[in-house]
Amino acid sequence: MQRRVLYWIIHYALIALYLLFALFPLFWLVKVALTPNELLYSEGIRLWPSRASLEHFSFVLTHSDFPLFFRNSLIVSSATAAVATLLSSACGYALSRFHFRGKTLLVALMLITQMFPLVMLIAPMFRLLVPLGLVNSLTGLIIVYTAFNSPFATFLMQSFFDAIPRELEEAAMIDGATRFGAFCRIILPLTLPGLAATAGFVFTAAWSELLFALMLNSSAQASTFPVGLLSFVSKFSVDFGQMMAAGVLALLPACLFFLLIQRYLVRGLTAGAVKG
Amino acid sequence: MGAYPDEGQAEPEVNARGRRLVSAAEPYFYAAPVLLLILAVMLVPLAVGLSYAFRDLLLLDPSGGHFIGFDHFQELADDPIFRDSLLNTVVWTGASVALQFVLGLILALLLNREFPGRRLVQALVFLPWAVPTFLVGLDWAWLFNPVVGPLPHWLFALHLTHDANNLLADPHWALVGPIVAAVWWGIPFFAITTLAALQSIPQDLYEAAAIDGAGVLEQFRSITLPLLAPTLAITILLRTIWVANFADLIVVMTNGGPADSTQTVASYIFTSAFRRLDFGYASAIATVLLLLLLLYALAILTLRRAMLLRHT
Amino acid sequence: MRRRLWLAAATLGVSLYSGAEAATTLKLVEVITSPERTETLKAIVKTFEDANPDTNVEIISLPWGPSFEKLATMVAAGDTPDVVEMPDMWLALYANNGWLESLEPYLKNWEHTAELNQRTLQLGRVIRNTAYMLPYGFYLRALYYNKKMFAAAGVTAPPRTLDEFIAVSKTVSATPGKYGYCLRGGPGGVNGWMMFGALSAGDDVYFHADGTSTFADAGWIRGFTTLADLYHGGLAPPDSVNWGYNDIVAGFYSGVCAMIDNDPDALIAIATRMKPDEYGIAPWIKGVGGKSFPTIGYGGWSMFANSKHKDLAWKLIATLDGVTGSLTWNRRIGALPIYTAAAKDPMYADARFKGWFEELADPDVEPMIMPMDLRAWALFVSSVVPRTSQSVLLGKLSAQDMAQQWARILTKAKQSQK
Repeated sequence: MQRRVLYWIIHYALIALYLLFALFPLFWLVKVALTPNELLYSEGIRLWPSRASLEHFSFVLTHSDFPLFFRNSLIVSSATAAVATLLSSACGYALSRFHFRGKTLLVALMLITQMFPLVMLIAPMFRLLVPLGLVNSLTGLIIVYTAFNSPFATFLMQSFFDAIPRELEEAAMIDGATRFGAFCRIILPLTLPGLAATAGFVFTAAWSELLFALMLNSSAQASTFPVGLLSFVSKFSVDFGQMMAAGVLALLPACLFFLLIQRYLVRGLTAGAVKG
Repeated sequence: MGAYPDEGQAEPEVNARGRRLVSAAEPYFYAAPVLLLILAVMLVPLAVGLSYAFRDLLLLDPSGGHFIGFDHFQELADDPIFRDSLLNTVVWTGASVALQFVLGLILALLLNREFPGRRLVQALVFLPWAVPTFLVGLDWAWLFNPVVGPLPHWLFALHLTHDANNLLADPHWALVGPIVAAVWWGIPFFAITTLAALQSIPQDLYEAAAIDGAGVLEQFRSITLPLLAPTLAITILLRTIWVANFADLIVVMTNGGPADSTQTVASYIFTSAFRRLDFGYASAIATVLLLLLLLYALAILTLRRAMLLRHT
Repeated sequence: MRRRLWLAAATLGVSLYSGAEAATTLKLVEVITSPERTETLKAIVKTFEDANPDTNVEIISLPWGPSFEKLATMVAAGDTPDVVEMPDMWLALYANNGWLESLEPYLKNWEHTAELNQRTLQLGRVIRNTAYMLPYGFYLRALYYNKKMFAAAGVTAPPRTLDEFIAVSKTVSATPGKYGYCLRGGPGGVNGWMMFGALSAGDDVYFHADGTSTFADAGWIRGFTTLADLYHGGLAPPDSVNWGYNDIVAGFYSGVCAMIDNDPDALIAIATRMKPDEYGIAPWIKGVGGKSFPTIGYGGWSMFANSKHKDLAWKLIATLDGVTGSLTWNRRIGALPIYTAAAKDPMYADARFKGWFEELADPDVEPMIMPMDLRAWALFVSSVVPRTSQSVLLGKLSAQDMAQQWARILTKAKQSQK
């Protein structure tokens, strides 16, 4: 009995430590966002400013292009999540169900795309996209993000499909359905948690991406919010208060989305749906 | 029965062959969109980028671009900064991934037990993953700055450091800053994938082992770890590749300094490309990194296959 | 029937004619971006658009941090603007590689060319004695000091010489947690090393007549050693080995270090965070031979050589750098003026600018132009200087060895420049 009590004490203590570690930096972000400029440095170390103020938030919302950047990020991330999940479920299905010539090559190629530093890809990619008119556009960004996130999304979807026995669609096909029909009507609905999980990962990745958004788009009309955050770092003054406020605002949808999705992330990744 | 005498017999054969062709081509249809996309958008620029390594290409200099063979690689072999950055990369990648893995595993084990409030805890503890890395770097740089952050003072109060100065300004300890930030950000990824894998292990295995008298640790060693290993191998592989290529946190927190003590291969590539303006040289470094990562991937995948074979 | 045909032809002709006069769009890129600057730029550009009704100007504002990489990537891929904001440090790279258009023919016919002060044209012409850019203002170093910290340490007046500077630093640093000098050890710190080097060398000559660098000479080595000793002696914050522009300015207005060498544009950040009686600005200190060598920097506007609307692009530059345009701009960015007459503008009569105008009027003050025309200078400044100078500050390298390394690099750079 004592051992169990000890176990649970340790359990809760460790959980508490993890919570503290995960949440303290986020708390600090919020704290800086709420600290007025003149107290930013003089009260830097306090856990809470003597006078909390919403001035940074109101500035970001009314005086900067932030609402525009936010909207652009929303468009790009949602579109990327949708398209990438769709395309990757098809590809993941292929990898899960079939043995075909070039399968290993395909997997190898997808792995290789993750290995080359993005910095070196920017210049050739830029040159490729300029004549196509895809620079300085949200569409170009969506295409690039989808391409970059597809390998990992495919890997995720493949593991979800692996958990569903082939017998299900094979039974349907014997009954006269096409494979594609079986895929759409039987298999996909079973992997709904997996789809949500993949969409969640891709959305989060696209939401916070900076390098491509910065290099491929220059006009304010096509900028996403991470680029917007950089605009608070100017030569005149790094407006940390404003930048943190913008960061907090930008975090809200990502955190909200993630909070909703993460339940499916675990459930989806668990080969539990059918195997039981 | 058709209008022509042998139509009835020929039809099923043609159909069967046609269906076989279609079914043989089926996987390609499913895989085509992704394949075409990554070929066009990533592999073509990749090939072009790799080709720079063999040319004399200076940024913005329209007169360059000649083929120079392996000259860059020879220069690289003699480059002390590259050697140091390689060492830093190993430390940076090894420490970040190992810590993320261990701490993520522990967190997953903790979350694997049902307890009141587990849903909420799970949601909160995964939040760091949603923060953009640029902001992560800035946030932690502030936390480590003694003027505006509490960490140096707390570390000093706990007698873990001998003064309350900025860790990031000390060449011996500067790399700790980005590592801590990377671990904070990366634990959720490991925790999520490990938790999922944990939850897919059938409970009866544990029950049988408990009946046989095995303790918690023994169960962990003989059941959990071996069954988890294949998933863990892939997760570690992917994270290592991403972290090795990941210069954001270092650039934001220390800019590779002080005195190049936190310069990794990824940030050295950036410096060569945009400060030395030598795109050819930067490409050569990137090529070497690519080769090293390929070898590493091969090793991990071979190991994983061996583990899978052993357990089926 | 024929009348209708003529009517149709006339309509067609008219529509074609007006179509031929459709709006032209000029692309203008700013690189030292901040929300306030962009607002001011838009206002000046609007006056240009009003005066040229068929022209639109598309302003592209690059975030300051990665602006160099971003512009370089755009230009290398063929996405070039018509007019670009050109910082002094980038001029050599773009001009020497043939990207910029010479402004000489336009300057010859411009009515305001004669009103520009001598320094403007001199600095615009550093590359091959051709004006590849028209400066919009100057940044001259001066000494900002924290009056509150001085008073607390018992210092009554800002230092005028190097020896006084060191003494004041020692006095202020005696208080724990306070330091005398906000040293810029990180990116962009080259100005400090050059200024201290020149102070002890007694002049600002970078190369001997035979093209070898002067850095390995005793005077410069003494200067570098002095700066390193400031750090080793605890007269600068230990953090400052990593500090860039924003860190030193923040260190100054948060009361960590009492003195900072900086340009007039830092005034804007400092003025919003400190009360006027808490800080002062004095001329930069004097060294050997009673001479002072504050570095002078500048930014300006350049035209790309592949612009399809060169005459219009010049008109835009002329508006931005016109008498009113330039004054509006400098009021916002806090730079010293390019027009001789502008020195009389009420903005510059403000007490805070006194320090700079004192410097400009003083014969013993020689604004120092660093050898930015060297192709290798940009790399030297962005890579070699931080790496080696940080090693010196951390005690891993001696100032003398650093000086000799620098001398070798610059001598080679000068010789390959020929």
